[in-house]
Amino acid sequence: MSLSRREFLKSSAAASAAAAIGMSVPAELEANASTAESNWRWDKAACRFCGTGCGIMLATTGDGKDRKIVAVKGDPAAPVNRGLNCIKGYFNAKIMYGADRLTQPLLRVNEKGEFDKKGKFAPISWKRAYDEMEKHIRIALKEKGPEGVAVFASGQYTIMEGYAAQKMMKGGFRSNAIDPNARHCMASAVVGFYQTFGIDEPSGCYDDIELTDTIVTWGSNMAEMHPILWSRVTDRKLSDPDRVKVVNIQTYTHRTCDLGDFNIIFRPNTDLALWNYLAREIVYNHPEAIDWDFIKKNIIFAAGPVNIGYGFRRAGEKSFKDGKYTELEMETYKKEMSKVVSDLEGPALEPYGYKAGDVMKNTPGTLKHWEISFEEYKKSLAPYTLDYTAKLCKGDPEESLDSFKKKLQDLAALYIEKDRKVVSFWTMGMNQHTRGTWDNTLSYNVHFMLNKQAKPGSGAFSLTGQPSACGTAREVGTFCHRLPADMMVKNPKHRAITEKGWHIPAGTLNPVGNQHIMKIHRDIEDGVVKFAWVNVCNAYQDSANAKHWVKAAREMDNFIVTSDGYPGISAMVSDLILPSAMIYEKWGAYGNAERRSQHWRQQVLPVGEAMSDTWQWVELSKRFTVDDLWGAYTLRNGKKLPDVRQEAYKMGYKPDTTMFEILYANDRAKKYKIDLDSFPQKGYDNSECIGDERNVVGTDGKVFKGYGFMIHQYLWEEYASFGRGHGHDLADFVTYHKVRGLKWPVVNGKETAWRFNVKFDPYAAKHAKENGRGSEFAFYGPLAKALPSGNLTGVQDKKKKPLTDKAKIFARPYMDPPEMPDENYDLWLCTGRVLEHWHSGTMTMRVPELYRAVPEALVYMNPKAAEERGLKDNDLCWVESRRGRVRARVETRGRNRPPKPLVFVPWFDERVFINKVTLDQTCPMSKQTDFKKCAVKIYKA
Amino acid sequence: MKILTKITIGLAASALLLVGCNAANTEAKAEKSVVKPTITEANLGYRGTNDLLKEDVIPPKVEYHSAAPGTSKKFPRAFQDAPPMIPHDTTGMLPITKDNNQCVSCHMPDMASSMGATPIPISHFTNFRPKTAVKGDKILKNGKNLKNTSNEDMADISIKVDKDQKLYAGRFNCSQCHAPQATNNLVDESHFTPVYTSPDGASKSSWDQSKWMQHIDTAK
Repeated sequence: MSLSRREFLKSSAAASAAAAIGMSVPAELEANASTAESNWRWDKAACRFCGTGCGIMLATTGDGKDRKIVAVKGDPAAPVNRGLNCIKGYFNAKIMYGADRLTQPLLRVNEKGEFDKKGKFAPISWKRAYDEMEKHIRIALKEKGPEGVAVFASGQYTIMEGYAAQKMMKGGFRSNAIDPNARHCMASAVVGFYQTFGIDEPSGCYDDIELTDTIVTWGSNMAEMHPILWSRVTDRKLSDPDRVKVVNIQTYTHRTCDLGDFNIIFRPNTDLALWNYLAREIVYNHPEAIDWDFIKKNIIFAAGPVNIGYGFRRAGEKSFKDGKYTELEMETYKKEMSKVVSDLEGPALEPYGYKAGDVMKNTPGTLKHWEISFEEYKKSLAPYTLDYTAKLCKGDPEESLDSFKKKLQDLAALYIEKDRKVVSFWTMGMNQHTRGTWDNTLSYNVHFMLNKQAKPGSGAFSLTGQPSACGTAREVGTFCHRLPADMMVKNPKHRAITEKGWHIPAGTLNPVGNQHIMKIHRDIEDGVVKFAWVNVCNAYQDSANAKHWVKAAREMDNFIVTSDGYPGISAMVSDLILPSAMIYEKWGAYGNAERRSQHWRQQVLPVGEAMSDTWQWVELSKRFTVDDLWGAYTLRNGKKLPDVRQEAYKMGYKPDTTMFEILYANDRAKKYKIDLDSFPQKGYDNSECIGDERNVVGTDGKVFKGYGFMIHQYLWEEYASFGRGHGHDLADFVTYHKVRGLKWPVVNGKETAWRFNVKFDPYAAKHAKENGRGSEFAFYGPLAKALPSGNLTGVQDKKKKPLTDKAKIFARPYMDPPEMPDENYDLWLCTGRVLEHWHSGTMTMRVPELYRAVPEALVYMNPKAAEERGLKDNDLCWVESRRGRVRARVETRGRNRPPKPLVFVPWFDERVFINKVTLDQTCPMSKQTDFKKCAVKIYKA
Repeated sequence: MKILTKITIGLAASALLLVGCNAANTEAKAEKSVVKPTITEANLGYRGTNDLLKEDVIPPKVEYHSAAPGTSKKFPRAFQDAPPMIPHDTTGMLPITKDNNQCVSCHMPDMASSMGATPIPISHFTNFRPKTAVKGDKILKNGKNLKNTSNEDMADISIKVDKDQKLYAGRFNCSQCHAPQATNNLVDESHFTPVYTSPDGASKSSWDQSKWMQHIDTAK
């Protein structure tokens, strides 16, 4: 027996009786002035969507579980957006009310009601769901150890959710196989920050926009992806149109270009050469523009290996040996092991000892680097003459070389002009790049040489994609290799600090953190990961070369769980689906791209039996004890995790003490009281702490009545304790409920606008005083602050020299991406987002206005390219790569206007599953996927 | 595509489970007998296939409303003071560039009524952002040196209506909030119910000076 889609919807909607009320009444008839706004409760919150981090005012009305969101407006008090939202921001009002919200757990079963991987889904209780999860986690741990249990985590977790997940994974299961979708969007920026500054996250803030004279966007469609920041840029530009210049450096023309004084359309991947051209212009042709006083006090030069591959699987990996990859696919993958240096990249690689035609043997990506002299750095720039750069980079065959050259010169002139402030913004174009880390570091080179970094109105500024990629993924450290506040799992001191902070035995934490998000997929395909849980993301729609991962999940012996608000592709692929509370159905906090942390309160009760991800993690912790998890393990690389149970007993834990008691409901936690009579708890729901009138039957089969303490505050304060005094200072929980966010480090109640700048950053002031160099800056990040030295081709002196409080300028060449258009696959494919939809569309495709604005993913292509293939607008075509194909409709007159060699297909639409086509190439250093380049052919369907 | 509008209590099979609160004790017993494999992948989401790898989808045609400006029926606003969607054909009107914004030529208040267009409301002639400047190590907002950009006492708030009714340039990109609408329908309608607080709330913004500062102190 099968339920029809209609019947399924009926049954899930019935769980929330209130949702049914008034549904069939046409909207027009509802206008009724007697419904006074006096019944409405307005509160502040953060927007659910991008990394801009806008504030919204949100109105709810109704009682108990009938309370619903009725309106959203831009928060006039929010410094980020001052009373204005973008279209998605306003429609936060409707994202939780799609008809097919998940309202109860669903498990694949057979006719007898037993779990069956090949079965259809059946609604089950939370208890049954957790019985199955527990069972399969135990199997995975027994067969594969901690490396067999994985989590697809998220830059959209609230900070507390991410912290809760990280504690149970790393502290409880001793597994570092937790990695966020932020890996796909920010990892190259992060490694760029670590390499350059020794510490993560931007030096500038959004006030740079109002203070600058020049905005240069690099691989970033800010008008659609960061619309409110773009509104600020537009205001700045139009308020002083002669002085303020906007230049956009992109692979295709889009809405951001519509404001540009001029736009540079470049061949994909050659932004590396453009940055080096700018640096060459400075060093060779305008040496007077270099601020040598600044350089001598604050900067060293560095280089690293160039033969680092493309982040593919390497020869000998199990699924390669098992023949899971076709010969056609291997045409691209074989370049991971070695490649022939092309004519395009030959000149750029000459200073590094390679020339066109040479075979380059690749080793796996490494973060290794060493100090070089300025003369060596200068040598690395020699190839990027105007002629070479223009020929290499020009991306639109219809543009003349002369026109392109003139733009390059004009761009250089703007950067170099004395007293002209410049901000360089970038997003996925520079991060989703097989040399994304290089590209990020190259941006700082230009700004450093001109002393236009970490100053009001000047700086290279990485914009974040997700609402809490900074706050949760990076600052909390929900990456496989990280711990809170910039600490690393491989650093024994950092593990010890974390173990102490979590009150878990010394030696508990696993020092091997290499299961990044693509590695988790590959480990599932190799049969190593046997249990995987998708949290606040859509790992099976958002990962490149998706057919492999979907197949591995559906056809191999493993157990995949997805927690979500709506069923997306990840839910369809899963064995168990859990209904999650959505953003305003829980307390939370996000951290945006200018280091601003923003909190909100629970506005309404979740639908059906949905519960927050924090609750789901805390409930899971009840199922595992000291003796279950803290014995000895041997990892696959042979490394042993010690048995820490004796140590645990000495700390007062018993063999059957649960992780719940240790990690969450401990004495420290219980000090954070429920106080419904005072701000900020007064008048607000709190489903995790006090339960709610839905009386959800919990994971133990009993009605869940709440934890009885303020778990959100506990998780916040414990997490914040790791960063205070270490350059990541956060204010206390209650303060954030009173203000519209603060930019960390918050020292003595004061936020920090420009980091590393002695005038504005108390940490920089302290370091500058201590190092006595008399600089106005201190780049005090602690990572890799002592280096061996050498030249462009390698280390010559292994002795490490300290570079306290200094930043780095890196020599890094242009290189080709591993797959480029050829005779058979003759177009570049670039994927990305559109303004009206968020990521995989699970929320925005349920909002009628957003759906109708862009109801499906189209193939944006050049009219001539379409014509050559016999295609007209709205025609169906196949988009096909070596890995797969999808059908979609052609659009040649849309907002995205590519040059002839490139097509753009957004990925929000589960019907146009474009990640079947894309390539799982990553920056070998950051492990971030490049979704912006692969080769496809397009033909009529 | 179908639009589901009426919700009734679902099929007995799964509805039994959903009673939740009262059924706590009986649930465990009942569960075994009602856990039946009934829902396929095609029931989830809007893709409508059971095999993600083998079955492809033919995405439907996309057609936007084609009425000429001034002749189209306005869409009701999604909720009180929500940005209105564009009911007319926009062919040839987009993109908005720094030198050419065709939207404002009809929607500026002095033109709108004669063109049958929705007039741009007063919020769009207002800059809510204090002037930012840096002097030495001081960050000034409207000349005031504040400790933080966001304050408990709301000292940083400054809202100025432009006397000359000049469009605030931060609202120049109309397509950032207002979008044309395709005739395509969602698989299932939303459960969101608008509640308008003014009689013409479905067609008009009421968000003016009298409301901007209301409810703003959420820490009371």
